[in-house]
Amino acid sequence: MKNHGIIENLKSLVPTVKPSSLFGWSVFWVLVLLPALVWAQDAATQAMSVEYRDIPGLGSRNVVWVVAQQHLLLAGFVLGVPIFAWVCEIVGWKTKEARYDKLAKEFTKLLTSAYATTALFGGILLFLLIGLYPKLMAYLSDIFFPSFIVYCLLFLLETVTLYLYWYGWDAMQGNKKTFHLFLGFLLNVFALGIMIVPNAWATFQASPVVVAEGTAIDRAWAATWNPTWWPVNIHRLIANVVLGGFICGAYAGIRYLLAASQEEREHYDWMGYVGNFIGVFGMLPLPFAGYWLMREIYQYNQQMGITLMGGFLAWLFILQAMLIGVLFLGANYYFWMGITYRIPGSERSYRRPILAMLIVLMVCLGVWMTPHSLVASLEEARKMGGTHHPLLGVFGVMSAKMTVANLMILVTFMSFIMYWRAGKQETAGWARIAKAVMGALLVIAGIAVIVLGVWGYFVPAIIRINYFSVAQVLIVLFVMVTFTPLTAILMKSAKTTTEMVWGQMPIRAGYALVSNAVMVILLMSLMGYARSSSRVHWHIYGVMRDTSDYAYSPALGYAAAFMSLNTFVFCLLVAFIFWVATMGDKGKKIPDQKEPEPAKIPAGVTPAMAGGSPREQD
Amino acid sequence: MSEVALLQLIGLTVVGFGICILLFIKAKFLRVVGFVVIVLGTFTLIALGVPQMPSLPPAIETFDIAEVKTPDDLASIGQKIFFSKGQCALCHSIGPSESARCPDLKGIGAKLAPEFIYESLTDPQAYIYLDFRHEGLPKEYPARMPYIHKNPIALSQQEIYSVISFLQKMSGEPISIKVEDVMNIGKESEVEVASLTVNGAP
Repeated sequence: MKNHGIIENLKSLVPTVKPSSLFGWSVFWVLVLLPALVWAQDAATQAMSVEYRDIPGLGSRNVVWVVAQQHLLLAGFVLGVPIFAWVCEIVGWKTKEARYDKLAKEFTKLLTSAYATTALFGGILLFLLIGLYPKLMAYLSDIFFPSFIVYCLLFLLETVTLYLYWYGWDAMQGNKKTFHLFLGFLLNVFALGIMIVPNAWATFQASPVVVAEGTAIDRAWAATWNPTWWPVNIHRLIANVVLGGFICGAYAGIRYLLAASQEEREHYDWMGYVGNFIGVFGMLPLPFAGYWLMREIYQYNQQMGITLMGGFLAWLFILQAMLIGVLFLGANYYFWMGITYRIPGSERSYRRPILAMLIVLMVCLGVWMTPHSLVASLEEARKMGGTHHPLLGVFGVMSAKMTVANLMILVTFMSFIMYWRAGKQETAGWARIAKAVMGALLVIAGIAVIVLGVWGYFVPAIIRINYFSVAQVLIVLFVMVTFTPLTAILMKSAKTTTEMVWGQMPIRAGYALVSNAVMVILLMSLMGYARSSSRVHWHIYGVMRDTSDYAYSPALGYAAAFMSLNTFVFCLLVAFIFWVATMGDKGKKIPDQKEPEPAKIPAGVTPAMAGGSPREQD
Repeated sequence: MSEVALLQLIGLTVVGFGICILLFIKAKFLRVVGFVVIVLGTFTLIALGVPQMPSLPPAIETFDIAEVKTPDDLASIGQKIFFSKGQCALCHSIGPSESARCPDLKGIGAKLAPEFIYESLTDPQAYIYLDFRHEGLPKEYPARMPYIHKNPIALSQQEIYSVISFLQKMSGEPISIKVEDVMNIGKESEVEVASLTVNGAP
């Protein structure tokens, strides 16, 4: 295990190294790795004699909680951003529009700044785990050692690729662009590997597969391929994109608030839009991935599923509903503000649909947040005939919650479609029929989701879970995959009736972007606590019991205070990293540069991404 | 002052601090910090408003087999295990329940032989018995019965026999498990009495 810590720690030194010396570092690491393999075995044997160590005053678990959360959030950002940075670069390359290339480069700049800090927290976390939980770490090292080697190699490859990708950006333009794109592809492949290898360690703790026979690789492979590994991989992959998108959106939102010139306002307004778009794009399928994960947990171990959904963690899901609801409202509100301020005049035609959408969202949020049983005094409970409210209790069950979650996704998707179509007039002859078909499909889909939800009350749970809920998800997905290409084709031939105006959004738009990022960070912290607490008093569920003084899960209030603290520390950390990353930009500015005239998009400019984009600024 | 009250006080202070920043500070970045602080403080206060239930590990009680004198003593221990360490009541009901996740166990001790119950606990997939509801069509359940003698539940032999005794007694049957047989398995075992109540859960 110790060799892993050394490598993690050394990795944090990489950002200070010039790319030319990367090969030297790689050789050095390999040389360090070999003797460390032997060292690890000795350390594991010694660690068996001490089960736990504590940090007086702070508590070992609290310290690990903060450090692990910072590492995880930073890692989520670092692994999510390359995905859409690369996609942006491809869009720029295909459309020959330099602004997308510039945006992709700006995303990557944030990525390189955060990379070193992520590795630093990874190293600190590893040392803390080895020191504070030696027995657990010795056990995990014994099972997963082959995957530690793979992890180190992946980190080497990721680091080399990231440096080539970032430092080679300007040098690899023109005919070398395809090679640069290939590097971006490799970066994402290695990033995926870096995410799924540690996921195996974490998911093994929740759903262990222990094989006593076979070689070290056989045992490691069996433990890696545990029942919740891929559901968590998929869920985290999507969540990382959401986190990256909303954090980039928040960065743009703050830069928009601080912008000194109209040009900056236009750029960061657009960047905020793209960040929000990416976040929403990822957020729409995320509940489906979460549903799959919960299904797998139930199938693996029903007790664990019940602990999560019906036991002491049940109230956590009410908080989760609240956070997701605020996030949906924030994302939609930002779209609606975009319609009002970026496409002047269109707010008149969209006022009623926006009001209807707001009402639907609020009602859905109300249902989602309704608890199955209420906090009631004995007397109140007697009057109600139990802790279940005679009317509201109907909304507290999964059938109702699945229905409103699907409806909220539908509404958010329609907000996006509405934003896409605002300020444009379809010219295709078949546009009317297409719009009628889409309208009918939307109504039918909404009704079908509600009917299945109500029907779900009258069938056994197994039917609802296996068929009705899946059908609801498929209906919403069908609407999304049908509407998106259809709208894209319609918009291709549409004429612009109102030009998009960037940099005119009110101050609250910046705050909405910040709020969305805070909600996502809180959500990730909350669900991390849920995942960890579902193991109850086990380090490795059913295999290694937690016998420390911290073998309990704290109540939600205490945990929420920690989540808030973690979120605040993470926000400050990210703000500091981004501030350092953009210091160089300020130095490059000409002091007496005059503020340019407000931007006017030339007529006939075709938006390359839904909602358009600002004028060429290079 | 309780921990919850202290955290509420801290939460309110944080929210108040954020409001002061928004009211009196003009610097835009600090105002964003104030906004974030208000959001986080409010979230904490809301989380402190829901039922506060820590998940405590099961307390370990010594189960001295020497104290078991009669089959009723055995059944009494079995009852404790049924509702605690055994986690049986997490899924099974005693009496009809539409919301039960697994078969109703009322009268099961009279209906099934102890050997069959033992097999159902230790090799639950060996024979799937569908006629749970005592009326109408057999009902299939999504849950798979766990191996009760393996982790994470891991009941000992004595504990399994105690549970069978309880099921027989609860069904009005004479307890067929002999105390001497159980005593011969081992001298001492441990019974973990966990608090599995979910009062206040939504």
